[in-house]
Amino acid sequence: MHTRPDREGDEQFRLLGAAWEEAVPHWQDEVARRFETDHWTPLVQRSRAYLEALRTLMEVLETAGHDTEF
Amino acid sequence: MTGGANRVHADLDALKGFHEALVRFRYAQRGVAERGDGEIEMTRASLAAKASRWQARLEQHQAELEACRAGGGEDVPDCTAYARAVEQAGERLEHIRRWQQRVDQEAGEFGGTASGFRDLLEADLPRAESQLLAIISRLEAARRVPAGEA
Repeated sequence: MHTRPDREGDEQFRLLGAAWEEAVPHWQDEVARRFETDHWTPLVQRSRAYLEALRTLMEVLETAGHDTEF
Repeated sequence: MTGGANRVHADLDALKGFHEALVRFRYAQRGVAERGDGEIEMTRASLAAKASRWQARLEQHQAELEACRAGGGEDVPDCTAYARAVEQAGERLEHIRRWQQRVDQEAGEFGGTASGFRDLLEADLPRAESQLLAIISRLEAARRVPAGEA
């Protein structure tokens, strides 16, 4: 049985977040702050927005399938 | 006690680990996006097949109803069951068509967000990875400079 793509995406996002949390304590300088502002924060925001939209869509598709089984 | 060289070493390991995680994330999310598109297409195909099936049933029931109404001779035939079958097939077909419209609408709205995310995966994320690699290279170069020469 395949995992729903949105759930797989959530899991990959969680793993990336864990890697970031692991790196941050060892990386506390101006370059790190710039990387966070320029890359990490937008990446988190856009990934969350995408995964939320994907979850909503997958639920609609699942319901469409069930609701048209006669 | 942690010396300067050890500190840089720890930085490098952490940054390399994060860089690897970024690359894995990009590939994995590309797969997720492709599977998402695949689910949309599968649902569309499935709904189209159901609509086609119920369209055929509707036509069959309509033909049966017409035959029933025409076959009564002087008596008024009881075609209630055929009429009910036509009504039910029509309702189900309409229900499926409403879902087709809903799926198209939702997929269209999702398309904008998905396109932005693809840009992130194909352009922004590789840029972030390159920048991180450059940072790692600078740290590695700094480690090779003996203390006092930096």
